Amino acid sequence: MPSLSMRVEDSWEERMKSTLKALLMAAVVVAAPMMATSSASAEGEKYILVSHAPDSDTWWNTIKNGIALAGEQVGAEVEYRNPPTGDIADMARIIEQAAASSPDGIITTLADYDVLKGPITNAVDQGIDVIIMNTGTPDQAREVGALMYVGQPEYDAGFAAGLRAKGEGVTKFLCVNHAIQQPTVGERCRGYADGLGIDLGDAMMDSGTDPSEIKNKVLAYLSANQDVDGILTLGPVSADPTIAALKENGMAGSIHFGTFDLGEEIVKGIKDGTINWGIDQQPFLQAYLPVVILANWDRYGVLPGNNINSGPGFVTKDGLTKVEKFAGEYR
Amino acid sequence: MNTRSTHEPIIRMQNIEKHFGSVIALAGVSIEVYPGECHCLLGDNGAGKSTFIKTMSGVHKPTNGEILFGGRPMNFESPRDAMDAGIATVHQHLAMIPLMSVSRNFFMGNEPVKKVLGFNLFDHDYANKITMEEMRKMGINLRGPDQAVGTLSGGERQTVAIARAVHFGAKVLILDEPTSALGVRQTANVLATIDKVRKQDIAVVFITHNVRHAMAVGDRFTVLNRGQTLGTAQRGQITPEELQDMMAGGQEMVALEGSLGGTV
Amino acid sequence: MVDTAQTDERIKEISPLRKALIRPELGGIVGTIAVFVLFLLFASDSGMFASQGVLNWSLVSAQFMIIAVGACLLMIAGEFDLSVGSMIGFAGMMVAVFGVVLGWPMWLTILTTFAICMAIGALNGWIVVKTGLPSFIVTLAFLFILRGFTIFIPQTIERKTIIGGIRDAAEGDWLAPIFGGKIGQPLFQWLGDIGVIDVFERGSRAGQPVVDGVPMLIVWAIALVIFGHILLTKTRFGNWIFASGGDAEAARNSGVPVNRVKILMFVFTAFCATVFATCQVMEFGSAGADRGLLKEFEAIIAVVIGGALLTGGYGSVLGAALGALIFGVVQQGLFFAGVESSLFRVFLGIILLAAVILNTYIRRIITGER
Repeated sequence: MPSLSMRVEDSWEERMKSTLKALLMAAVVVAAPMMATSSASAEGEKYILVSHAPDSDTWWNTIKNGIALAGEQVGAEVEYRNPPTGDIADMARIIEQAAASSPDGIITTLADYDVLKGPITNAVDQGIDVIIMNTGTPDQAREVGALMYVGQPEYDAGFAAGLRAKGEGVTKFLCVNHAIQQPTVGERCRGYADGLGIDLGDAMMDSGTDPSEIKNKVLAYLSANQDVDGILTLGPVSADPTIAALKENGMAGSIHFGTFDLGEEIVKGIKDGTINWGIDQQPFLQAYLPVVILANWDRYGVLPGNNINSGPGFVTKDGLTKVEKFAGEYR
Repeated sequence: MNTRSTHEPIIRMQNIEKHFGSVIALAGVSIEVYPGECHCLLGDNGAGKSTFIKTMSGVHKPTNGEILFGGRPMNFESPRDAMDAGIATVHQHLAMIPLMSVSRNFFMGNEPVKKVLGFNLFDHDYANKITMEEMRKMGINLRGPDQAVGTLSGGERQTVAIARAVHFGAKVLILDEPTSALGVRQTANVLATIDKVRKQDIAVVFITHNVRHAMAVGDRFTVLNRGQTLGTAQRGQITPEELQDMMAGGQEMVALEGSLGGTV
Repeated sequence: MVDTAQTDERIKEISPLRKALIRPELGGIVGTIAVFVLFLLFASDSGMFASQGVLNWSLVSAQFMIIAVGACLLMIAGEFDLSVGSMIGFAGMMVAVFGVVLGWPMWLTILTTFAICMAIGALNGWIVVKTGLPSFIVTLAFLFILRGFTIFIPQTIERKTIIGGIRDAAEGDWLAPIFGGKIGQPLFQWLGDIGVIDVFERGSRAGQPVVDGVPMLIVWAIALVIFGHILLTKTRFGNWIFASGGDAEAARNSGVPVNRVKILMFVFTAFCATVFATCQVMEFGSAGADRGLLKEFEAIIAVVIGGALLTGGYGSVLGAALGALIFGVVQQGLFFAGVESSLFRVFLGIILLAAVILNTYIRRIITGER
């Protein structure tokens, strides 16, 4: 036994040395290329976009492309940050962190006013320009001292969708909510119900984010509630599995189907008649415009005099070519 | 050291029976253990050795029969009772925690405390000192009291466990197959430890199926077979070959009766 | 036979320096130094080491530390708790429900929340101990149960999944500042005045330092680390924790009350999660159904980086604290260094792997594992 301890110790020293070396090597190898990319900007302004979306939400790819394009065009350095799990408290830390790195501007969503108010206000007070995009309301944006709000007011968009669906004959609906933890997204369902003029009741389903779970929940709900004649999904995460569900139970095309946001599958659905319309809040504008606005504000001191509504725009079968071409990329 | 006339047995177990449902694990076993002797309990696998030591150490209650401890009838409700009375069991595998230091293991469950600012803290200095002392007495030279048990050999671990039981006042020490997984040299160390313990007037019950190990230190030998005792023999009254035969099944029992000197 | 203690020529003498170096925390210490050197090289001019940046990664690390201390002691006692993240969400929601919806005084709200959550921790432990099921499964069940309630309760009574207004409800309460307050404001104001710390340039807080005190979250983290370290290394109970996780059967044979130790560690883990949650809702003012997602794994990762053995019986609270520090510094530091955020996981994976390999060698030397 003692001989063993000696052997282990001797080789341990070597092993530890080599392990340490490996650790350092790995760190440098991984770090070096990343450091290089981040310092390759031209004009010097640095803007950080902070979202509330978890990594799994593919819709935000359009946002990433939007800021990247704007950054390239105006010659500013842009970064995209998000809490990996979608935890808003983690998002607050990211905003604090973004502020600590002293950028020229922060573009952020206002997914939870209570939580994000403090960090955003502090950033503003520190002298950093803030634009609220996507989630939140113009009122809240003003409260935290942001320059402006760019996005689609959720309740209003839902209400408009409800009015339209009512005209198209919907009397009882199912709202598939894949983001139950974000109250602002749920506002779409509430607005939709109010637009239809009926009580929300238990029409809002907490679907989770797993595609096959969503599909099966929708199937189960529709077979249990035969009188449902309209479906509202709140984004590609819930829309794609719902399309599959309707194709499976043969209701595709016969049940009224409206959805928020666009994506490849949704565009296909609109084209083949499964989906009546998609509400495009035009995320590209929500990402692209703030970068351009901040750059112009920093360089020339010019600023639009009002908030910008990037949506809602109803996308139907007519005029789908551009949408189709850029779906998931810029649309 | 084995003069029975001058001592009272510390444990006397009479006609112990233990039934598990329809299975009769022990069918009337009797044994006496005296202070300062090493009493070897031999038996093949399935002979009922472990049921017997579990009965002795309070894990099982006998179905029939009587246990006298220090002359008085004893009814152990739990192993803790037996431990408090001075019956300590050292299990083959379940004695030491390899990831912990020798001194932490030594005092496991019996940690010394000292008051610091009104809090009861583990008295590491005292524990370390005692551990080093006790280990030195047993012939084990530790690098330090904080050396992990995992760095010790199997024999050294058994020795630590035995030293621990002795330190905490064991009067009867039950060793469950302490040598079965050990090499020659380590076995010798454990047997030497048993000898040291016996000299402190502690009764040692040494369970084994290795006749040579038993013969090396045993004062008396009891063979268990199919839940029954085949008899107890004094040292010098029996040969290893005879013990081996008895363990194997007692075919030679009639022939052996004479040599066992009427102790059956 | 060895009758007298004699020196064994095959045991190498170990120098005091070497002995001091080979400790369970060594992996954590090496990692901490490596991480700080790396970020000093690559992110020194990014604001990471300015007062605000330091506070940022300190806060994140402190959060990890609070749950890592509980997870560490529980893991050393041989069990896991996967319901920590859900417990954080649940505890925060309880504070919101009692304090805001029901309007109870905040001190009563906080004490009740602690009582409920620690009782759930005890239930977790009791089920594990009584059924002998792996704690992995039992606490996984509670991961779902608690998360479900955290969504169901506010939806049923308030028709939303985030309840705000906690800061207002806590206004003037005597207990709330223990979780949501800050200490050392005069010192920081002075540091701001003499220019060591940046001050706000505009708004209602112009002239105040951007860092105006040490949040109680950090104080809790330090206090819990000290408490956990003393409990583990300097008390009888600490010895029982090691023993219960090292070999429950051997510990029982020696008279260690293994079941009680394990249940108490589940309760302590729940306590830590509740501290985390209470500090969070006091700071941010709202409780949400999404709080604490995946935090149980972050706690376990910090503990493992800190040198603890996943199978129990070995580990160090100081190591776990260093693991939490590494985790927090890396997570926030990569942002400062301008690394693409999706590569954060790559980096984290490398660090985790390196730490575990290093820790395994250190542990083998200490414990003689083969």
